Amino acid sequence: MPEKHIVLRNCGVINPEDLTSYTARGGFQALKKALSIGPEQIIKEIKESGLRGRGGAGFPCGLKWEFTRNTKEQSKYLICNADEGEVGTFKDHFILENDPFSLIEGIAIASYAIGVKKSYIYLRGEYHNLSGRLQNAINQAKENKFLTHVNIEIREGAGAYVCGEESALMDSIEGKRGEARFKPPFPTDKGLWQKPTVINNVETLMNIPQIILNGAAWFNQIGTERSKGTKVFSVSGDVACPGVYELILGSSLKELLINISQSDNIKVVQIGGATGRLVPGTAIDTPLSFESVLGAGSITVFNETRNIMDIVYHTMEFLAEESCGKCTPCREGTEVMKLIIDKFRCGNGTQHDMQLLTELSSAMSLASLCGLGQAAPNVITDSMQYFRDVYESLIPANLRGVKA
Amino acid sequence: MADITVTINGNQITGHAGITILELAKENSIDIPTLCYCPDLPPMGACRLCVVEVAGSKALVGSCHTPISQGMVIQTHSPKVMATRKIIIELLLASHSGFCTVCDKSNICELRKLAMDMDIGLSRFQSKKRYFPIEDISPYITRDLSKCVLCRRCLQICNEVAKKRVFGIGYRGFNSKVIVDLDQPIDKEVCRDCGLCITSCPTGALSNPAQIGEEKKGTPLVIRG
Repeated sequence: MPEKHIVLRNCGVINPEDLTSYTARGGFQALKKALSIGPEQIIKEIKESGLRGRGGAGFPCGLKWEFTRNTKEQSKYLICNADEGEVGTFKDHFILENDPFSLIEGIAIASYAIGVKKSYIYLRGEYHNLSGRLQNAINQAKENKFLTHVNIEIREGAGAYVCGEESALMDSIEGKRGEARFKPPFPTDKGLWQKPTVINNVETLMNIPQIILNGAAWFNQIGTERSKGTKVFSVSGDVACPGVYELILGSSLKELLINISQSDNIKVVQIGGATGRLVPGTAIDTPLSFESVLGAGSITVFNETRNIMDIVYHTMEFLAEESCGKCTPCREGTEVMKLIIDKFRCGNGTQHDMQLLTELSSAMSLASLCGLGQAAPNVITDSMQYFRDVYESLIPANLRGVKA
Repeated sequence: MADITVTINGNQITGHAGITILELAKENSIDIPTLCYCPDLPPMGACRLCVVEVAGSKALVGSCHTPISQGMVIQTHSPKVMATRKIIIELLLASHSGFCTVCDKSNICELRKLAMDMDIGLSRFQSKKRYFPIEDISPYITRDLSKCVLCRRCLQICNEVAKKRVFGIGYRGFNSKVIVDLDQPIDKEVCRDCGLCITSCPTGALSNPAQIGEEKKGTPLVIRG
């Protein structure tokens, strides 16, 4: 399936500092249409379009909006999650840099549909350079009377990976230490300051204006049965043409990596960053959709020259560093896993260690508090599934009963 | 309030709407081990020891913070749950620089009791040990953070009951630590003699300043497993 630009349609075409260049390409027409059809109709359109959250979990966007709209609370909040912390993702940076207006329009429509008076954009701390451009876009939209119904505020993070997790993100906006909260209650029920809150990824909100303009039926025909629309991928690693590409959901990994970004000798592909899945080079026909693997759209390619244990070790090192430290399995487990993998990396593994890794992985994914801890063992379980021979070769020969 | 009927370990049990799985289990004398849970205070869900299996949920759920809902089917002691709890205790023991023989609270230590209940002798995991200097400049409280299991009960008690907000959490991941001010040793200026946190501490991390001739509390625990 080919590339198709829905989210990236304005990137590189408009002047991101100037609102008139955006309105010349049909900007804020969707907001006008949305204001005329009313909130119920907007939510109906979004629900029918089958748009799912682009942050990785893939929760139906329309449902989330409906839950929050139907609560009796007067004050509600909308948060745009621009804390793009996942390893190897840079799509939101590209979007915010080139087309901040579509995001503002998406937030304006979403706020109107849900009945929100105050919205936040939670910008990653490292993206401080974008906050001026984003603020400029908000100011210009305000001057042109597009934001009369909602107040948009930019909040910058302080560089914590876990603050991309929605509950830690809310703690961070509240001014607390960014730590995951337990669920239930879900954010749509008790979120920011214990009020109903919708949290949407940048890319999700970028889709909204186009769905409103072109209708649910148009969006619904793109993609596979349960994954509608397109997805923006950040491709990096051992590829000839790294970059941001937008593909129709359901396209194969092969198309993206071989045809578009021209890589060869692929050993393993990490999809979805540090907490994502590993796909070996032999399974390159895997479709990219919510049904198989997707994550937040980060694709890191490793070729035959890379050592699999180094990949696993550095991923675990990152997760151990970025664990918030609240729940036991994640705080202690990531550290233990890092040490065990280091043993294998130095060629000192044992069969017993492999057994421990398996048990620990299952306990962590079952008992951890938030998505970070639950997904942290993914890289271990996947690498043990596809590269078991590598692990076994790193057990000293005398412990395997093989002649040294 | 309406009553809700759930199934725990195959038995139909009725409880008030709004109570958590853990509270219902306690009312019906089902013992779910906990570490971070303080009765009557808001739950934290930090230690994850109280996890139970709920039919229809992919991961295990923390019973201390999950309210019961109609028709829930709960397993509190299934093999999956027990294996997970055992690993959590083993993880805590792996980084606990516990010299139980010389610890004043070793006979009343909740971590050791939990390990004993689950037949855990030595942890199978190897991890870094937490070592911190003992803070004993305050006349009211001695802190030995090497023994801390980060259950955060001291924080909860200090914030919610004593309303002093003395403690906070500093650093991240494995290095996170219960700190006072900007990681200063606790002294008599920030904390007076209420001692609530000392009674709430499950291990020997917080204790009354040692007195000469004091004997170990509790009857000696037997280590099994």
